[in-house]
Amino acid sequence: MSTITLPAEDNTTDDPRRRAPLTMGGQTLTSITETVARIAERPRPPRAWYVAFAVSSTLTAALILAAIYLIAVGVGVWGNNVPVAWAFDIVNFVFWVGIGHAGTLISAILFLFRQRWRTSVNRFAEAMTIFAVICAGIFPAIHIGRVWFVYWLAPYVNQMAVWPNFRSPLLWDVFAVGTYATVSLLFWYLGMIPDLATLRDRATSRVRRIAYGIFALGWRGSGRQWHRYERAYMLLAGLATPLVLSVHSVVSFDFAVSVVPGWHTTIFPPYFVAGAIFSGFAMVVTLMVPARAFFGLKDLVTLRHLENMNKVILATGCMVGYAYSIEFFIAWYGGNPYEQFAFINRAFGPYTWAYWIMVTCNVVAPQAFWFKKVRTTPWMMVIVCILVNIGMWFERFVIVVTSLSRDYLPSAWEYYRPTAVDITMLLGSFGLFFTLFLLFCRYLPMVAMAEVKAVLPHHHAAGDWQTPAPAEPHANGESHQGIRYPDQVSEGH
Amino acid sequence: MADSGRQTERAEKAVRHWRSLAELADAPEYRAFLEAEFPREADPGGISRRRWLQLMGASLTLASVGGGCRWEQEEILPMVRRPAHRVPGEPQRFATAMDLRGAALGLLVTSVDGRPIKIEGNPDHPQSRGATDALAQASILQLYDPDRSGKLVQGTAEGESVQTWDKFVEFASGHFGPLRKDGGRAFRVLAETTSSPTLAAMRSRLLEAFPEAKWYEYEPLSRDNERAGTKLAFGKVYRPHYHLDRAKVIVAIDEDLFCDHPAGVQYARAFADGRTVVNGQMNRLYAIECCYTPTGAAADHRLPLRAQDIAVFVAALEREITGGSGSAHGKDGESDVGRFVVALAKDLKARRGETVVAVGPRQPAEVHAAAHRINAALGNIGNGVVYFPEPDADRMPHRQAIAALASEMNAGKVETLLVLGGNPVYNAPADLDFAAALGKVRTTVHLGLYRDETALLADWHLPQAHFLESWGDARSWDGTYSIVQPLIAPLLGGKPAIELLALVLGDEKSSGMELVRATFQRIAGAQNAQTPWRETVHDGLLQGSGWSPEKPAIQGAAPQADRAASLSELVWKQGPLEIVFCGDSSVYDGRFANNAWLQETPDPITKLTWDNAAWISPATAAALGVENETMVRLKLDGRELVMPAYILPGQAAGSVAVGLGYGRSAAGFVGGDARRNIQSIGFDTYRLRPLQAQEFATGLAIEPTGEKYRLATTQDHHAIDTVGLKARAARVGALVRSASLEHYQEHPEFARHAVHHPPLISLFDEPEYPGRRWGMSIDVSKCIGCNACVVACQAENNVPVVGKERVLEGREMHWIRIDRYFVGEPDRAQVDHQVMICQHCENAPCEQVCPVAATVHSSEGLNDMVYNRCVGTRYCSNNCPYKVRRFNFFNYHKNLDRPGGALTKMVYNPDVTVRSRGVMEKCTYCVQRIQEVKIRAKNQRREIRDGEIKTACQQACPSQAIVFGDLSDKSSRVARDHAADRSYGVLAELNTKPRTAYLAKIRNPNPELEDAHHVDDHPAG
Repeated sequence: MSTITLPAEDNTTDDPRRRAPLTMGGQTLTSITETVARIAERPRPPRAWYVAFAVSSTLTAALILAAIYLIAVGVGVWGNNVPVAWAFDIVNFVFWVGIGHAGTLISAILFLFRQRWRTSVNRFAEAMTIFAVICAGIFPAIHIGRVWFVYWLAPYVNQMAVWPNFRSPLLWDVFAVGTYATVSLLFWYLGMIPDLATLRDRATSRVRRIAYGIFALGWRGSGRQWHRYERAYMLLAGLATPLVLSVHSVVSFDFAVSVVPGWHTTIFPPYFVAGAIFSGFAMVVTLMVPARAFFGLKDLVTLRHLENMNKVILATGCMVGYAYSIEFFIAWYGGNPYEQFAFINRAFGPYTWAYWIMVTCNVVAPQAFWFKKVRTTPWMMVIVCILVNIGMWFERFVIVVTSLSRDYLPSAWEYYRPTAVDITMLLGSFGLFFTLFLLFCRYLPMVAMAEVKAVLPHHHAAGDWQTPAPAEPHANGESHQGIRYPDQVSEGH
Repeated sequence: MADSGRQTERAEKAVRHWRSLAELADAPEYRAFLEAEFPREADPGGISRRRWLQLMGASLTLASVGGGCRWEQEEILPMVRRPAHRVPGEPQRFATAMDLRGAALGLLVTSVDGRPIKIEGNPDHPQSRGATDALAQASILQLYDPDRSGKLVQGTAEGESVQTWDKFVEFASGHFGPLRKDGGRAFRVLAETTSSPTLAAMRSRLLEAFPEAKWYEYEPLSRDNERAGTKLAFGKVYRPHYHLDRAKVIVAIDEDLFCDHPAGVQYARAFADGRTVVNGQMNRLYAIECCYTPTGAAADHRLPLRAQDIAVFVAALEREITGGSGSAHGKDGESDVGRFVVALAKDLKARRGETVVAVGPRQPAEVHAAAHRINAALGNIGNGVVYFPEPDADRMPHRQAIAALASEMNAGKVETLLVLGGNPVYNAPADLDFAAALGKVRTTVHLGLYRDETALLADWHLPQAHFLESWGDARSWDGTYSIVQPLIAPLLGGKPAIELLALVLGDEKSSGMELVRATFQRIAGAQNAQTPWRETVHDGLLQGSGWSPEKPAIQGAAPQADRAASLSELVWKQGPLEIVFCGDSSVYDGRFANNAWLQETPDPITKLTWDNAAWISPATAAALGVENETMVRLKLDGRELVMPAYILPGQAAGSVAVGLGYGRSAAGFVGGDARRNIQSIGFDTYRLRPLQAQEFATGLAIEPTGEKYRLATTQDHHAIDTVGLKARAARVGALVRSASLEHYQEHPEFARHAVHHPPLISLFDEPEYPGRRWGMSIDVSKCIGCNACVVACQAENNVPVVGKERVLEGREMHWIRIDRYFVGEPDRAQVDHQVMICQHCENAPCEQVCPVAATVHSSEGLNDMVYNRCVGTRYCSNNCPYKVRRFNFFNYHKNLDRPGGALTKMVYNPDVTVRSRGVMEKCTYCVQRIQEVKIRAKNQRREIRDGEIKTACQQACPSQAIVFGDLSDKSSRVARDHAADRSYGVLAELNTKPRTAYLAKIRNPNPELEDAHHVDDHPAG
């Protein structure tokens, strides 16, 4: 067999004899720290950051103003009506919860499955999860008629001696999303502690030193600390893994448990989870591609990472497409005329445009990822991923709005039209998401430095594709060890 | 500024009667007393700038300290001397009557702490028997309308000035006294038609005092053709009255017997009683009409015909009946209409003496005469059709009256015009130009409930008292004499017409009660000298005062001319159209234009709110290139009007119907007021209505303008696509289950087999109800879709009005929805009505999904809504398969803070919570009424009797389609209904276990017409 020569800048080709490197450009421990920490330490971010921040914070302000208007005047400022009592509010909620799924999946499940390529993107994806859940949490909170009593959904001891109704999926939602937000936040923060310590140690100003110092929780990088850290990380990963499946399953129960034709289907939990991962990965890719270009992270977040994520998108996209078709099959096979109508109405009724946008974006568009060229060309994958995100928003719109607009009694049928406030709040939620994301890029380590260091080629056993880089002294008390994978422990070195 | 000031003043006046009548009269002594007692009260405007700043400063400080968090403080003081029989908070009921369409409906009005809050029918009254119609239900809101006139306004050359009654009395004595000199030669009175004997007496007195004066009566919607028809047929004016309970076959020819007849409530009841299958028999109703009416919807056979063609139809029917079988020859007999005539005639002849043929007021006198001849030929006179002597037989027809008055005014023969109610400037025939004619009258005095279009042009406008605040009397369609007693002192200082006439006549004693009492003495004296006044006031009617029917004989034979017309030519193909002017189901002739409840009540057929439209049949619209909601230009005799088109299945082809009473420019805050820049609701079709064609006219041209207009319908808000139409057609049969009488007799339990489903298993333990189990049944066979229940529910349960924009958004708040489904081919569509309210499911989907347990089941099986607990997730609404839950998207009671709100909020039922923003609400089965009876029964230590609790909808229902009661009592009516063979639950296959059962609709089609129609087999249009 002749020797295959592989271009040094391409790590997307699979050579069965060698493991493809997870970083490029001959990374050393120092270079990784430099690359990542420099972004957060730069006195001024690039001009593009300011432009983006101006736009996104304006949108955030619009969201806040719209929310104040909503609370002051009433839910009627939206287009919701009877029968379509839920519309953009719940569509946005489910959309953002779905976006949040990529982070936990990458950090927890891929961690447990020992997918080391996750290290370059997990921080980023987890941050996205947190921000997406924040965006998601806003909507159910403000969508209720009397926002000032939102705490009644919580089971707290009160003088009214009333307890929430545990039969209601909406209550399950409160718990599911609440748990998810908490665990995700902990997981993200815990994973960031060693990197925050690095930033603290490298800080040149007093303010930064104190700020990062507080959040670094006195991390010193001692062996004992690493030991505890890794245990905690693993436990949280174990905790977060079922949540990836449970959160969106519970969100889907909001629909599946109801009697509304088009909602009441058993396929919803797996279908929602697949859709969530689908949309979450699409969002990670959409943001990662420009971020790695702007912040010089191309060597850490390589094309191979992106390609892997695109493969996940392709796989989950096919699952979603399968779910769409099986819904139709079951509606026909089940013989329930109301359910049959719900699906025919989706595809050919007044919201037919929304349905076909959904199908085109979610089923057709990701098929482009069968082509390696598309999987490995940043601008192409961004286009596909943006389409997927549009499609996934429409999927929720189709589920929520079309089912409600025409349920059992034809006399109650109604067409829903969003108002300007609806649209402002949708755009505003993107504004909030990007604002938080831009702040994250500006002030926090975007890549998990400690973790990436653990997957550098020279940390691998022999047989790796690139020659190990010479060891070098570590500055600033930074750990050279990085996070260990379960299998690494036995491997030793 | 001036307007708002006036409103505040009006609002202040509104609350005045609570203190004392002296204050209401604004007596100078009282002013002096007030000044001494409450110096600030007397002079609210007298705050100095310094004092103002002090107050502002202090209130700001208080607000910041926390004063802003406090509820407004209000002192409630008990009465020192409690009036007899008044227990605070305990409702009292008083009998009275409402005079509309020239006949009275006996009412029983509920009053709480001195303010009337709810209108019910008087169970003792033969026309009402406890039921009402939508207009009567809504008239309580009119009483509390802050836009009602509360001021005497004198219009002079210098402008308007607000006057007092004293000033007017001064003016009247100076003005009307001298008029007597020449016998009132230039004095004219224009009145509305009323059935009030007192007013008739006052009229004779006035004409005695002013022998040269003339008294005209005008009603834009009149039954004069009916009178002329009897004159033509019998040589004397009679009033036909129908005993539908005695009729096996009823033919309504262009006549809405149930919703647009002075005795509609009675007729609906009698008709509905006959819908029950007894010994395999039930009545059969044929409707031949141009516009779709509730009567047409209730009919077993409905034939849409242009109003102008109905004369030909009736002539053919008469020939067929009087000329023996086979009279409709050749081609005529082959046509659809021809077959209809033959079959109908055969049916009528087979039921000789047990039928009723009724013709509507829109048809000319000849058609009425033909119908009388048919009734005579069929032996109906004295059975199903009776004739009363018309009390006011010599009255000039309305159309002639208004024309005569206008020409006199134009000729300068009228110097003083007294307008008693009515609004001729708005509703007089368009070609008379009444407003211009009014300009030639030296002195116009207008008495009206509102400062309307006519009032604005009058020299004097006087506020009229609402019937709930004035003494009066009235006769119902069959002559039963009722006394109208006031429920409250005039809120805005108005006077009824009889008192004004007394004032014009210069009577010393002008109290309405005395005037009425004098009339009563006369009538009761003739009747029965023993009947005391108090008893009659209490009962609301004088028993046995109805007229006794006469048996007039037909004079002359049918004219020959009609025979020329052919039935087969009655199908409109192309060419000139016909325009039909209809009274509106909501605003009647425009007088209810400022009544928000009625404006928001969906039309029984079109489901249109807040607008009128030109109804066009689908075929006609297609031929003209008109789409639904396009603005069309209607041209008739050189007059034009642009208004939206509504494509109405079942409208006669070639006929365009327009509702009257919209487009008011001086109705008020709700209906439109040009002075306050409040846009009119709907389009003023009176502008098209000529003197010679008050009912319908031919030669209408229509052209679409291309513009679109949004009509706020509560159903089918937007054009439904094919997918939706197919699904709807497939579903209607399972939702509104119906069968022909024949099918029902073969398969009495057909309704239970309409939907098959797997066994129903519940996820949760099902509670047991050892005690009472409240339930309801709705008889679809009886429901005529008249909306009385909708408005009754609104009045009883403080249901807010949301306005056109919100209806367009799909946020109407009615707890009762009357679903209307068209079945059959579009141009001959049949209508099915289905009352849809909360079904109080035992296994309620809404309860399961509410996260805060705000909707829960009571121990008696009510699906209770806990407003206090509701946070407004709206999940319950999503999960309600019936979509009967209503959400407060906004604060719909905000307008109570406006000036006038103090008056408006008096209409609220104190037993029902007024819901706040962000809260879900829905039908409660009138839980407050259940509790009231429960408490009463408990206090009296007895069981609740079946039928003792009546929900508001049930009580108002003229056709008695709704029954409420205890399902655990197997002998109760509702339990028997639930067990009946026709009983079914809508969507019961979802295992909701609804507590509301529907009784399937039984139609009684004529087998001979079935083939021609196929109504039941066709998909929906």
